[in-house]
Amino acid sequence: MDECLERLLVKGETIEQCLQSYPEQAANLRPLLQTALATRKAVAIQPRPDFKARARYQFHSALQEVVSRRRRPFLSWLPRWATVVAIALGVLMSGGGTIAAASYSMPDNPLYSVKLATEQVQLALTPSDIGKAKLCAKFADRRVAEIIHMAKKGDAQQVEAITERLDERLVMLTRLTSAPEATEAPEALLSAPASSEESGNDKSVRAKADSRSKLRTTVANYAINHPAALRAALEKAPESAKSALRRAIDVAQADYEKALEALD
Amino acid sequence: MQDEESLVRRAQRHDHEAFAQLYEEHFDKIYRYVTLRIGNEIEAEDMTQQVFLNALQSISSFKWKGIPFSAWLFRIAHNQVVDYFRSKKHATVPLDESLASNNDNPQLIAEQRLDIEQLLLASKHLTEAQREVISLRFAGELSIAQVAKAMGRSQGAVKALQHSAIVALRQALRVTENE
Repeated sequence: MDECLERLLVKGETIEQCLQSYPEQAANLRPLLQTALATRKAVAIQPRPDFKARARYQFHSALQEVVSRRRRPFLSWLPRWATVVAIALGVLMSGGGTIAAASYSMPDNPLYSVKLATEQVQLALTPSDIGKAKLCAKFADRRVAEIIHMAKKGDAQQVEAITERLDERLVMLTRLTSAPEATEAPEALLSAPASSEESGNDKSVRAKADSRSKLRTTVANYAINHPAALRAALEKAPESAKSALRRAIDVAQADYEKALEALD
Repeated sequence: MQDEESLVRRAQRHDHEAFAQLYEEHFDKIYRYVTLRIGNEIEAEDMTQQVFLNALQSISSFKWKGIPFSAWLFRIAHNQVVDYFRSKKHATVPLDESLASNNDNPQLIAEQRLDIEQLLLASKHLTEAQREVISLRFAGELSIAQVAKAMGRSQGAVKALQHSAIVALRQALRVTENE
């Protein structure tokens, strides 16, 4: 049976192919091999994509914390304005290790201020409203991971502070997608098939419409997954963080509702 | 792709990229292993995260003595599962609605849920060691040799456990189907 299992599970052979090598034991082997295949099929479960993304983010944050404990973080000693200037230079000159490393840091990490400043610079350097709105969605996703992280530690004050930042980003996202530039795709163009004679302007409008549609899908997913993740965190959070977490859930729900309205 | 030994050595020096690669390679398998062992998706999510955080904290203690990294990681997962049952006296509970939800086909999702629920029910008829072998072999996708390392048993013992586990599962699944 071991030989057959290797051929089935590793080499991808069929049961019949395996049994041809052992005709005298086929009657006994067949049901066992069928059970083995059914078992493998049953356990072929995959983690939910949003959980996987959040887990990855939290793992990188923990990894970053370990790494930053080993070396003194460059930039963390600078005043805020100088950090922003240094980061702007870093982003323009293709970035540095500290900036990349900071992107996974959590609020209790010395590099967190670098992360927030980097986000500001990224927003400032992004010219279009829809581009900025996409960044807002991305940063909102980070804020939710941070809220969950700090809630686990029972730090209500941090949860409240991050909730404010989450609110700020989602309000900005709503404002940006309500603005005329972000909503100018005409209805007819959205449904019209692409034409080879399409003008440059038409292509640009179509690209904006596509971009907006993708953003809407992302925001619609977050509108479900973020409050759900926060509710799951609420069940396990220490009592001290629960009230702040409830407020975070309310803020996320209300803000996403408005963001979706703006995008519709 | 780099060989596992050099990746682990880099991870032990806290090389971000190396550790991230090890994480990506093993995450799904550890998740499947934990889910099959405890049968609760929400708890399995938390525990999978914890396995990697524990690995991160203790990777410097990992020594290359012919034991693959995956066996070491599954050992951490196994300990996590043991602690879970010991501390909470949990019984296996039905899987959460969202299990296998990255498949868009509702019929396939329903079938898969049925399959795994039947398997979880059937696995109650297995001994602890048999369940461990099945979880490591089928959910963790480890070879016989790797399972032997992870469980600290001989390959012959693992093969015998695998055989008896499949016979027992066959019997139990037949009973479940007839019910």
